[in-house]
Amino acid sequence: MALIHVNQVTKQFRKGAETITPLKEAELQIERGQFVSLMGASGTGKSTLLNLIAGIDKPTSGRIIVDGTDITRLSRTKLAAWRARNIGYIFQTHNLIPVLTAYENIELPLMLLPMNRSERRRRVEVALTAVDLVDRANHYPRQLSGGQEQRVGIARAIVTDPTVVVADEPTGDLDTETSAQILELLERLNDELDTTLLMVTHDPDAAAIAERRLKLDHGRLIEHAQAAAPAVHAGAS
Amino acid sequence: MFTFRPLPWEYGIRNLLRRPLRTGLTLLALTTVTLLVMVVMGFVRGLDRSLAVSGDPQTAIVFSLGMGENLEYSSVPMRTADLLASSITGVRERYGQKYASPELYLGTLVRATEDAPEEMGLVRGLTPSALLVHGDVEITRGDWPRVNEVLIGRMAATKLGLSDDQVRPGRQLLFEGRTWTISGTFAAAGSTYESEIWCRLDDLQQAMKRQDLSLVALTLGPGAEFQDVDLFCKERLDLELQAIRQTDYFATLQKDYAPIRWLSWLVVALVSGAGVFIGLNTMYGAVVGRIPELATLQTIGFSRRAAILSVMQEGTVLAMTSALLASIIGYGLIHRAAVRFTMGAFELQIDSGTLLIAYGIALFLGIVGSLPPSVRMFRLSVVDGLKAV
Repeated sequence: MALIHVNQVTKQFRKGAETITPLKEAELQIERGQFVSLMGASGTGKSTLLNLIAGIDKPTSGRIIVDGTDITRLSRTKLAAWRARNIGYIFQTHNLIPVLTAYENIELPLMLLPMNRSERRRRVEVALTAVDLVDRANHYPRQLSGGQEQRVGIARAIVTDPTVVVADEPTGDLDTETSAQILELLERLNDELDTTLLMVTHDPDAAAIAERRLKLDHGRLIEHAQAAAPAVHAGAS
Repeated sequence: MFTFRPLPWEYGIRNLLRRPLRTGLTLLALTTVTLLVMVVMGFVRGLDRSLAVSGDPQTAIVFSLGMGENLEYSSVPMRTADLLASSITGVRERYGQKYASPELYLGTLVRATEDAPEEMGLVRGLTPSALLVHGDVEITRGDWPRVNEVLIGRMAATKLGLSDDQVRPGRQLLFEGRTWTISGTFAAAGSTYESEIWCRLDDLQQAMKRQDLSLVALTLGPGAEFQDVDLFCKERLDLELQAIRQTDYFATLQKDYAPIRWLSWLVVALVSGAGVFIGLNTMYGAVVGRIPELATLQTIGFSRRAAILSVMQEGTVLAMTSALLASIIGYGLIHRAAVRFTMGAFELQIDSGTLLIAYGIALFLGIVGSLPPSVRMFRLSVVDGLKAV
């Protein structure tokens, strides 16, 4: 059974007098351990789909089941607790907490889980080693480069060993060389830790590293390998 | 399963240090507000305390009929004290000495030297039996006054606008055409008596060429009732006397100061209102600029409640720090500062009650100041919060 099951999901919102429908009756299944990239032009609903799967947004209709849990039925509080256990979120702009050190930023999600300080320390050290930032543990975000900040963001996303890691344009704010390093890191995490990864990107090179590539084009979600054969119906109006 | 997990304490604290100038200015403003509240509260508490501790429920004041509560204009015959002591059963007694104090009380102009400015002082002529009736009185320096001597209350210098040095034993005061030597100082547990000048009854009568009294204060023993004194005054119409419990007398005075107390509370409310806006301004600015960050925390899995609690924690820590600073300054500089008023003088009281109210108001400022930004955050979805600039 698929780890993520997006079933007939529609998302609408109002912008002034206009009703926008970035997703219409979307269907998608992602297997455990898959690295999926999602491409598409601006405004086609990539980030909307990502946010729905991450549980920070709710669909207008339809169901999203992640690892057996129908997250569309969870209350706001339960959804927050569910995110803490199941989702690792990598932001385009890193979104580190400026008053906390790299170590503390990575430790933050662990504070939501029932574990003692020594276990937290162990996990943070493993995450810091994974992103090769042990020597920057006590640095504040302002003392780190853009690439280092994003690596801290990745460490924060994987430290809880979540069910799914979602990445919204993780290289969007980085130069080419740093982007390549970050993508290599994501690929390695997927390979070594068998992390399920869903990445939204504009960059075809970035999308190419994923084992499964999806594209939102004029309201249609297309499997890259299947050429024009539609995997999902999505709509933009 | 869904245990509430707050944001780390350090997060809120470090956020306060993120904009040190803004936090510092807010702290200064809130400290000023809390200090002002403390001063006003200290004033009200000091005034209340001064009038409240001045009465003993077992003591009755007998004075002339039709004088209202104005003892200065009261005139009763000299023999009234003996008459009351012998006629009323139940007047307290010790070693044959009745607790009945004949007193002559007046407000008169007092000065320290011939060429010094005059100030209105409160003078009471008494006999040693006064020490029985006014049990809280304690001679702290010097001795009971002899002929042409006065005993000065602890707050009398403030009432007269004199320095402590000018009222130390051995110095002189001039009033009613005589020069009086200060024999000592007394305290009376913070009551209004501490603003008075006490001298021998016969001395004052001679100086004023009077042979009457203003009042007789009687302390009743256990089992005796005020009604006995009241009944005596009402039966002996020829003496034209009236009686009032000492506590009732001071309660009436307290009532006279009610407008001042209300005005003081109004000042507290206005100053606190200003404090709320200061807190609001800071917290609103601090939170609005951090909406994406707070949305990030929610994305990670912290609940909205945890984020709001953290915002309120910041406001509360700031307000309580200001209360702590204000209480240090208040206790160090304002506590027991003397204030003059018509009935005498009293000390500002930065006591536990004042501190409790000031801390309560500071807590209120912190919480109320954090509410609007919290409400704004509560209304915004996580996705909109992440996009907010």
